[in-house]
Amino acid sequence: MRTVLKVLAVLVVGTVLGLAATWFTVIRGAMAGGVKDGPWRTSLEAGSNEGNMYLRAAVAVHGFLALNRHETMYYTANTDSEGVRLDSRCTYRVKGNDPKTRWWSITAYGIDDYLIPNAQHRYSVSKNSVARDPDGSFSVMLSRNDGGENWIPLVRGLFSISLRLYNPDPGVAADPAHVVLPIIEREVC
Amino acid sequence: MLRKLLPWIAATLLVAAVVHVATVWLLPRAIMHRVITRMAVLGLNEIRFQNRPDASVRGVVRPSPDLLYSICAFDLSAGPLRVRSPVPGDTYWSVSLFDNATNNFYVLDDQQAHATHQSTADFVIAPQGSPATLDGLKTVAAPSTQGLVLFRTLIDDDRKLAAIDALRRKARCAPLHKA
Repeated sequence: MRTVLKVLAVLVVGTVLGLAATWFTVIRGAMAGGVKDGPWRTSLEAGSNEGNMYLRAAVAVHGFLALNRHETMYYTANTDSEGVRLDSRCTYRVKGNDPKTRWWSITAYGIDDYLIPNAQHRYSVSKNSVARDPDGSFSVMLSRNDGGENWIPLVRGLFSISLRLYNPDPGVAADPAHVVLPIIEREVC
Repeated sequence: MLRKLLPWIAATLLVAAVVHVATVWLLPRAIMHRVITRMAVLGLNEIRFQNRPDASVRGVVRPSPDLLYSICAFDLSAGPLRVRSPVPGDTYWSVSLFDNATNNFYVLDDQQAHATHQSTADFVIAPQGSPATLDGLKTVAAPSTQGLVLFRTLIDDDRKLAAIDALRRKARCAPLHKA
């Protein structure tokens, strides 16, 4: 009887430990091959077709059906340029010039990784839809209150921003950590 | 006391290692299996044209609201699959193939297609070991029997939405040889 209990304990504790290891290394873990550029993070391995099983699992969890970086580069920001977590209670300005790419878009996602429901059905600002300043630069507003032409409405809670570059210039794909990307300024909270 | 416990601790760690390796290996396959199973209800080896993503779309995380996604889940057990689609002239477009472990084993975009003078992409997905061409069409070898074909068409200008949508709806996935 005691032996049966011990075997049971081994199985239960072993399973819990094994699942915890998977949780921490793959599901909670940072995307494999991750690089940082200001507040933006991207992975060199999205859409890759090689690598070990950890890389495969991380790509499946964090970049499911993503393309390789010559097709699209996916940058994600969870914080502003000062490193403070993005929060719908604040107003943000994403400021910069066109990244070196065929096409780009800036999209906000809720904490659940889906588009944020809003009455205006505005989810993204892109190379062709953005209103530019006379010098060619742009600033995209993310806020609860009307933010004008380049506005992406926020509703509540924490959120994140995706910057997608379609067919980026070869130099961008080759060195994604040193690309000039827009900054994320926190205004009022 | 410790001597007596040691085999049990070793056994626990062994179980943990096996569970860990098994789940890491299984995870991508389980994710893909779920998607293919969901799509199989609607039909395998045929294309689905998804609506432009908005906040109500809750299938795959972080959808792009600027893309039109078309998708077909394939199963090659009954034979190769033919994939055909017009290639837009002036906006980003790509077709990408994923195996049952989420590996992206092939991608073709509009620039590559135009560089090789293809205004229509037309190829065959076939099991590994198939000839390089079938019925005169280039074959792409699939590492697994099941997988996904995903088309992305960029809406680079909202005013062009109707035309872009009409063109992408001409894409087809179908068995190369009718049963």
